Amino acid sequence: MTTVAADTRATSKVNRLKLPEGQNMVNEYWEDIFSARERGQKVVWYNGSAVNPFFQAAGLSWAHGEAFSARLAAQELEKPAQLAAEEYGYAGELCSYARTHLGCAVLTESARSRKVNAAQTGIVGLADQEELASRLPTPDFFVNAYAGCSTGQQWDEITYRVFGKKVPIYNVDIPFLWGNKPDSTYLGGEEWEGASDYVEDQLKGMIGFIEEQTGNPFDMDALSQNMAYIKRASELRREAMALCKTGPAPATFWDWIASIAHINFMPASEGLVTYFQAVKDEIESRLENNVSGIANERYRLYFDGIMNWNKLGELARLFASYDVSVVAGRYTHNAFWQEPHLIDPENPLRGMAQHYLLCPTNHGVKTLKNMTNKDLVDYDLDGLVFHSTRTCRAFAGPQHLLAKSAEAELGLPSIFFEGDVADASFYKGEMLATRLEGMLESIDIRRTRAS
Amino acid sequence: MTTEVQSQALDRLRQAARDPRGYVEDWKLRTGGLALGIFPMNFPVEITHAAGVLPVMVQAGDEAISDGNYLLTEYYCGFTRSVADQASKGQLDHLDGFMSADHCIELMGAVDVVRESLPDRKVFYGQFIAVMGHDWMDRKLRATVEEFISEMETFSGSSISTEDLHRSIGILNENRSMIRQIFQDRREGRYRVDPTLLQDIVKSSMIMDRQEHTALLREVADELASQSSSEDGLIRVHLSGHFCHAPNPDLLTAIEDCGAIVVDDDLFTGYRYVSTDVPEDSDPVEAICAWYQDRNTNAPCPTRVQHDIDWDGYLVDSVRNNKVDAVLVLMAKFCEPHMLYYPEIRKALSAADIPHLMLETEHLGMPLETIRTRLEALFEGIRRRSLQSANA
Repeated sequence: MTTVAADTRATSKVNRLKLPEGQNMVNEYWEDIFSARERGQKVVWYNGSAVNPFFQAAGLSWAHGEAFSARLAAQELEKPAQLAAEEYGYAGELCSYARTHLGCAVLTESARSRKVNAAQTGIVGLADQEELASRLPTPDFFVNAYAGCSTGQQWDEITYRVFGKKVPIYNVDIPFLWGNKPDSTYLGGEEWEGASDYVEDQLKGMIGFIEEQTGNPFDMDALSQNMAYIKRASELRREAMALCKTGPAPATFWDWIASIAHINFMPASEGLVTYFQAVKDEIESRLENNVSGIANERYRLYFDGIMNWNKLGELARLFASYDVSVVAGRYTHNAFWQEPHLIDPENPLRGMAQHYLLCPTNHGVKTLKNMTNKDLVDYDLDGLVFHSTRTCRAFAGPQHLLAKSAEAELGLPSIFFEGDVADASFYKGEMLATRLEGMLESIDIRRTRAS
Repeated sequence: MTTEVQSQALDRLRQAARDPRGYVEDWKLRTGGLALGIFPMNFPVEITHAAGVLPVMVQAGDEAISDGNYLLTEYYCGFTRSVADQASKGQLDHLDGFMSADHCIELMGAVDVVRESLPDRKVFYGQFIAVMGHDWMDRKLRATVEEFISEMETFSGSSISTEDLHRSIGILNENRSMIRQIFQDRREGRYRVDPTLLQDIVKSSMIMDRQEHTALLREVADELASQSSSEDGLIRVHLSGHFCHAPNPDLLTAIEDCGAIVVDDDLFTGYRYVSTDVPEDSDPVEAICAWYQDRNTNAPCPTRVQHDIDWDGYLVDSVRNNKVDAVLVLMAKFCEPHMLYYPEIRKALSAADIPHLMLETEHLGMPLETIRTRLEALFEGIRRRSLQSANA
């Protein structure tokens, strides 16, 4: 195992996919939201599940709460919203996505009602308010469709209350896939079919709610077209991921992280398909030319945990500096339209309902162990890194049981490091480096013994 | 403040509350029956009772948590880490199976640890919808209750008739009603009740055979009624929150030692648990569904999503109706629904000019001296304000 100099920035071995138009797509999407009012578009706020194809079909502008919090954190602009949330009374241990987003809601509502100004709160500067609050348009209505984490539905309920219970809200209840029945498997069994029926029915109700809010009949043909684009984009994404199953991997977990916004909430379009076609083409080209996602791949690891958006670049460089290719992860590979064969564009509701159920935090450990261990084998991995996400308890809860299972079933080692989705104060980078060095040494020893 | 009630009946309730395992093992020896571990906060115990099975609410343990911290994470609430800890150490082995009805991601994590630690036990999860008031709720809720009945029949090996359910509903209602009367008497100041004693009464009702509990409670209630009712100079407080598990009794004692008297609460191991009866005059499945929904009206809970029910408004009304001087919000560290709702509580209490203090609790190791200082400051402020308005 090679000891690494502390400054990984100077010697980055990261070789990210080159897709400059991808970032433009994301920027244009947010600019469209910020200017939605000028175009006379209605704005819907939502969290969790990717119900945005419905909004797109209805001609709405959609703002995903977690995505906005993640964007602020990635740009290191999250603090004003978090301070506003703290001033309002939210504890620092609360989900930092929720805390940041609620801070934005507090700022937005304050700015709108003009009852509170910056001088009165004493916390958030006017400039910050202008930058954050006024840029995110107030919602015309909310849709809550949150799987896995119980906090999701409570978060939207509280946002609804922050806005004085004046903004209409629709809730879709997505049951947790516990795996009660003997026939319960991933994508199979009585529990899965029953839950699929249940959520599909509610989506029909949600369409009715959208019609009430927009005053227009819902365009099912537009939804079908959206889902046709998403299905194709997802197929390309999954095919591209599969090309990384053997080493050296032409793309890494960090590349898949960089395209999460696209598959999760970008408008469904020919451009989305083109984007993922370009991803796949570049990976194929790299394979042909023996180009890898990091220089000198010697270890292949799995990343379990939601992303630490404040530290994306730092983490990518750190792992690469140890010749570690982080190849796959629960957040990237078991989420976001990951089962395109379930999508029938002609009759899209069931496949959409099923994807909402397939959130990677919506399974009991019984199923999660099988999913994770299958990825570990399929991607030919040497170990796991668990991002113990301080305020994302949905992701962090099963991690130790998953680590035990990987060790018991496959003999693979794990390490944990503490960080968070959108609160940099929880990140413990030094501990990560030390633990990573230890694990890589153990992998070296195992390889030596095996040879 | 120490309550003078020291009867044998109370001792037995206390013993069951403080040593659930001992009680359950003894009960199983006596009856040869099965005991089912249930998880907070909304499991319909009537179904378990109707199957002849002892429903036992799993409690936080008294030991320091070790295994539970790494089977889950250190930033899960103390209750869930304690449950994981107990499961890992074999301290839940006396329970023959487990069922849960609540969707809390931290609780689900703990129940998953139970399932992994005790692979030979049935661990069933039937999700009660947390989003209340939608038109599809009734159908889904009914299906879940029916599934619980079916699973309980499989677990117990005996069928559950409508008559069985009616009978169990009556027995459970009687028990809740008797406990509620003590809460009502406490609010009205008819006698003083040590909050740790009341906690023992509620906790033991979550564990013991309910008819046995009711019989013992009858004796204890008679003794309580003979206690004094003096409140001179004491600050009347309402304890709010603390879901799923009981606050540390030392904290309750400290609150009263600082010059207060607890006259009301909406704690889970308090009024919340007994707030609502199951209707006795309708189909029992319908009645259990109604009970679940009524609970959130009678004692609103931030774990439920119901647009027209306000926990904050409920608290303000309760304070005014019961002449409460201050609200102490007891928040178990890392409890997300409580963290989310707390600002609404703070806003409403402040707007209503009701003194309040939030105290964060941990499984063990609370800074009691710091808490005493904060309590004394709050109570002193209330007294001073009261004097000022009397002199004005």
